[in-house]
Amino acid sequence: MFSQGGLSLEQAPPISVVLRFFITGAAFGVLLGVYLIGSSFSSVQAFGGNTFNLIVTHILALGVMASFMLGALFQMLPVIAGVVINVPTKKAMVVHLLLVVGVLFQLFAFSKNSSFFYLFSALFLGSGLLYATPVMLKEVMSINDHSSSSKGMLFALGSFVIAIGFGLYMLLTLGGYSSGSFFTEIKEAHYSFALMGWVGLLIASISFQVVEMFYVTPKYPEVISRYFTLTVFMLLLLKTMSLMAGVGTNIIDIILALLFIAYATITLHRLYKRKRPTSDATVWFWRLGMGLLIVGMTLTLLGNIIDFSHKLQLLSYITFIGFALSIVFAMVYKIVPFLVWFHLSNQGYMEAPMMHDVIHPKKAKIHFVMHIGMLLSWLPVAFLDILIIKVVASLLLLISFAWLLYHLLDAGGKYRYTQKYCERIEW
Amino acid sequence: MIITQYMREEHRHCDDVFADAEKAVIDGDFQKAEERFIAFADDTLKHFKKEEETLFPTFEEVTGNTEGPTRVMRFEHEQVRGLIGKMAGAIEKKDKDAYLSLAESMMILLQQHNMKEEQMLYAMCDRMIPQDIKEQTLEKMKAL
Ligand SMILES: [Fe+2]
Ligand SMILES: [Fe+2]
Repeated sequence: MFSQGGLSLEQAPPISVVLRFFITGAAFGVLLGVYLIGSSFSSVQAFGGNTFNLIVTHILALGVMASFMLGALFQMLPVIAGVVINVPTKKAMVVHLLLVVGVLFQLFAFSKNSSFFYLFSALFLGSGLLYATPVMLKEVMSINDHSSSSKGMLFALGSFVIAIGFGLYMLLTLGGYSSGSFFTEIKEAHYSFALMGWVGLLIASISFQVVEMFYVTPKYPEVISRYFTLTVFMLLLLKTMSLMAGVGTNIIDIILALLFIAYATITLHRLYKRKRPTSDATVWFWRLGMGLLIVGMTLTLLGNIIDFSHKLQLLSYITFIGFALSIVFAMVYKIVPFLVWFHLSNQGYMEAPMMHDVIHPKKAKIHFVMHIGMLLSWLPVAFLDILIIKVVASLLLLISFAWLLYHLLDAGGKYRYTQKYCERIEW
Repeated sequence: MIITQYMREEHRHCDDVFADAEKAVIDGDFQKAEERFIAFADDTLKHFKKEEETLFPTFEEVTGNTEGPTRVMRFEHEQVRGLIGKMAGAIEKKDKDAYLSLAESMMILLQQHNMKEEQMLYAMCDRMIPQDIKEQTLEKMKAL
């Protein structure tokens, strides 16, 4: 706890640790855009086909989301949970390289269906992710005084490990190295743990701390901040066991969806009750994200009650992705400017750029508009098979990530510029 | 929990005044903004004084630890003081963008500071300082 001096921004890792992951996340987003545009022009089967789905899902889940979230964890564990990660720069570099190479191998494996690439992607992703998460898990587990945030991160990381384990099993099966019994069941469990566990729980546990901190809102009700993450994690375990046992999981899915709807509604209410008058783009990203989570989970809920068309299921995936991306953007546009300012002024640069000079809120606002346009353009893609719509939607996605990438690189550039050319006062 | 309760109230109060000042700046009412900002600065600095001169020394005496949490808190107070100076400059120049930019940094800095105090330091004070000394400390802080 305090005795380790861990609970201070003083303890925050160097900015390179965070930026390296964020920039990678944005770059994979650009790559996704390029891939989508390319697929739009190829045959109908390619766009929406099995290989296509695998590639898109994994660029998003591992290339984009895991990059952003690992970056956020490296930054936030020391500050929020008081966890000290030793030699963060080196660890981050190792994890980062293994992740990038692993994802690229995996994408080759999916597209070429090559057992060689399946094996290598399993090796790289496995060693990278299974190296990163226990480092963090071990530290989080050793905390005595758990806050709702640190406890949530524990379950999110736990979900990640489980999702990775299932994922590796599937990669080896696809590569022909394993007989692949229970493949369909494990696939379902893999997606549940990855989406609701890793992505959903991590966002929730970060929000328990950050929403209050950034926007000065009332606290989350104790029931939610205390039990939400635990309950979801337990339900995911129960779901996996039911899948293996061949028991229906509809009721579990319904409860999970209801829990996430409750969480999102409460978060929206926090934001509504916030004390700070500013309505910058990040507030809107949060609102949009939570709104999309509610829509997505309502669709999931309905899908478990009535028989659903495949298209509506696709829509619920799109809304979940929209939710996750919105929250990531909401965080990045706050965290990066703050960190640049904070690190530089701590190092004694009197002319450290202020937050608005690093990335101006107007840039975030423009991104918000592009993001909305991008999401809206994907709605018709789920229902119609028209080339121009696909190309426009893909292009908007590419532009959205390129915009973020540019501003992240620019923020890093301003950081280095200040270090190089501005006067530093020792104190 | 008398320490936590009293000090948390002060944090909330400072948040309110800060929000008023920020709103006035957004509306372009710099006269009101200045008045509210000065109130925020006064209240915050007074709160820091209570901590640094009364609560922290008591905590350090009881726990025998001067290098731990209170050192971190004092360091962060210095950072906040620096920002208050810069924000005052922005108000004087009626520089809306600079003010809002600094306000952003200030809120993140101050909120994470307050959270640590409320969740950890004050809680430790309430747990570890004997009741009679705790009441004395509280009275002293109220009198400041
Ligand atoms: Fe303080
Ligand atoms: Fe305080």
